[in-house]
Amino acid sequence: MLSKKHLLGIEGMPIPEINDLLDRADYFANRPKQSFPDILSNTTVLNMFFENSTRTRVSFEIAAKRLGASVLNISVNGSSVKKGETLIDTATTLNAMRPDILVARHHASGAPLLLSQHVDAAVINAGDGRHEHPTQALLDALTIKRSLGRIAGLKIAICGDINNSRVARSNLYLLSALGAEVRLVSPATLVSPYFAEMGVPIYTDMEQGIAGCEIVMMLRLQTERMEGREAPSQHEYFHLFGLDTHKLQKAAPDALIMHPGPMNRGVEIDSKIADDNSKSLIRTQVELGVATRMACLEAVAGAKL
Amino acid sequence: MSKTLLKNGRLICPSEKLDMLGHIIIEGDHIASVGTQLPDNADFDTVIDCNGCVIMPGAIDMRVQSADPGAEHLESLSDLLAAAGNAGITQLVSLPATSPVIDSAVMIDSLKLRASSYKGALFHLYGAMTQSLDNKHMAELGMMAKAGVVGFANSLESVSNSLLMRRIMTYSKMLDKPIIHHCSDPYLSKDTDMNESETAIRLGLIGEPSIAETIILERDLNLVSLTGCRYHAAHISTASSIEALRLAKRKGLPVTADTSPAYFLLNDKATADYNTSFRLNPPLRDEADRLAIIDAIADGTIDAIASDHHPIEMDRKMLPFGQAACGAAGVETLLPLAFSLFHTHSISLTKIVNALSVAPAKTLCLPIPKLAIGTKANITIVKLSSSSVIRGSDFMSQSQITPFEHYLIDSKVAGCFVNGISVTS
Repeated sequence: MLSKKHLLGIEGMPIPEINDLLDRADYFANRPKQSFPDILSNTTVLNMFFENSTRTRVSFEIAAKRLGASVLNISVNGSSVKKGETLIDTATTLNAMRPDILVARHHASGAPLLLSQHVDAAVINAGDGRHEHPTQALLDALTIKRSLGRIAGLKIAICGDINNSRVARSNLYLLSALGAEVRLVSPATLVSPYFAEMGVPIYTDMEQGIAGCEIVMMLRLQTERMEGREAPSQHEYFHLFGLDTHKLQKAAPDALIMHPGPMNRGVEIDSKIADDNSKSLIRTQVELGVATRMACLEAVAGAKL
Repeated sequence: MSKTLLKNGRLICPSEKLDMLGHIIIEGDHIASVGTQLPDNADFDTVIDCNGCVIMPGAIDMRVQSADPGAEHLESLSDLLAAAGNAGITQLVSLPATSPVIDSAVMIDSLKLRASSYKGALFHLYGAMTQSLDNKHMAELGMMAKAGVVGFANSLESVSNSLLMRRIMTYSKMLDKPIIHHCSDPYLSKDTDMNESETAIRLGLIGEPSIAETIILERDLNLVSLTGCRYHAAHISTASSIEALRLAKRKGLPVTADTSPAYFLLNDKATADYNTSFRLNPPLRDEADRLAIIDAIADGTIDAIASDHHPIEMDRKMLPFGQAACGAAGVETLLPLAFSLFHTHSISLTKIVNALSVAPAKTLCLPIPKLAIGTKANITIVKLSSSSVIRGSDFMSQSQITPFEHYLIDSKVAGCFVNGISVTS
């Protein structure tokens, strides 16, 4: 059970609740073939995706179905939003159909909070603008925990486009709360000095930034940002901030690599590293996404067995 | 001729260097007596006891965006003037960003004609600096000057072309009208949601650095020294802009500035829960900026306090923060919020009265409002020590979105006279 009705972000979430969610997700992850149709029976889950997504939407859908919920997917294409309806009107209309849980992704920061103020359903934030992506951070934490047995005390570098990343923010809050030593590695144009005011060390040199880190978490960088905007070119970006075998040598021995996907191969990460299952946790992250979202859906439904 | 006695008030008149307990007698449309000797009550049609009140020269709100023409359903011109009068404002100046834009003499004639029949505050206009506010082509400034505008203003986008700005200033100097400029660098402010700050980072909103204002202001101040144009910096919000203004004034440039209550009473932390009533332009700044604005009011670097009234439809506020429109109601809260500087920051009543009446009049070359025998009876009465809470739903106007919802105020408007006529309900 959560102390709040909605799951909108990691910031300010009590640590015991985070641990409960991770424990429950771990339980589900240990039973990958098992369904739990009683947990969310008679529950309707609406996936409202105002922004394109494949992996997150499918992950939530599978998670909800494994818990026995009825699931509806609404994507912005072909919905009334395209016809000029406001977010609140759409929410109010859908609310009248009495869904129990709304899973929302939106390109505007704060949109899930606004939705939560106008619907009766519990809202799960599936990623809002540059703000938060709480289920991604939870699945990342679960991935680290299951791989290395702990989070506290680990050195974790989050690398790439920090300013525009909701994944970076949610992970920063969550991993720090659980005792990891988080660093941000980014070109100076993509990480605001205000992150330093939150007490997070910032590195603009990739090799220094990942030095001694047990986890190197890469973020996606939109290609148009590397065409002379925040970075001069993809070529220069990969040279300075792309993860390759050479730079990875600076990290701790047996360091593990993560990426929330989708990846820009050869831009932020060398394919050789991404596909090396001894180093890369990328596939595990996707796999554990389902178990994590099962735990989150169950928690907001308040229907723990 | 009707006679009204305002008795037992604290008369504060900066231009007459007056601060004393006394009375005012209004006869017809003018002030007939200012004094300490209380006359016999029996001679008056109306007697108002002003015990505990400041009696000041009529407040002038020099920065109001009327929704009329174009969005009359939000707030018609008659509603605006009535609401302003009821809130103690005797004169207001409306900005040109209406639909259509106020960029021609005919628009000015028509609006002034309409306003002349409405009750409440007296109405003045700024003309647009550029045609349709396109920031590219100079508007018919000369024709608008003849039609009686008090100055020329832009919208919430600055004239970024320095050559055009130079020409507008040179032309405006020829007409002896001030330029009222909203300063924001078009590149640094593009697509931004709020002030650049830790709060913005946490909310995942895009921040505008405070220097976006100062960069354009400093360019403008250089152009003022080149052209000699009278220049007024609108709704100044940052400490770095204050520094620039201080320097310009020290050099003796013909420069004035205003701010509005949001910039001296609120900071950017207010936006922490994405409440769109705090989405303003310029955005709310940080606490150091807020304190610098208060210092600048205290030392006169900021001359005037204006409401920055800007009616916005609820539909355009009930959106995710970054998509919501900027702006909020202001005329009905201007006076109590300005007087809160007296209660909470020990700024003298004379300074506050000056910023609300004399300073705007000087900048715009309007007759200096004063409490003096024979002058027009434009008078505002403010009761000090009267606690209440601001609620948009209590406003007289339909424009009710305010960043000061639930804000505690310690004073209230107790009366207002425009040309001798009471305009409060």
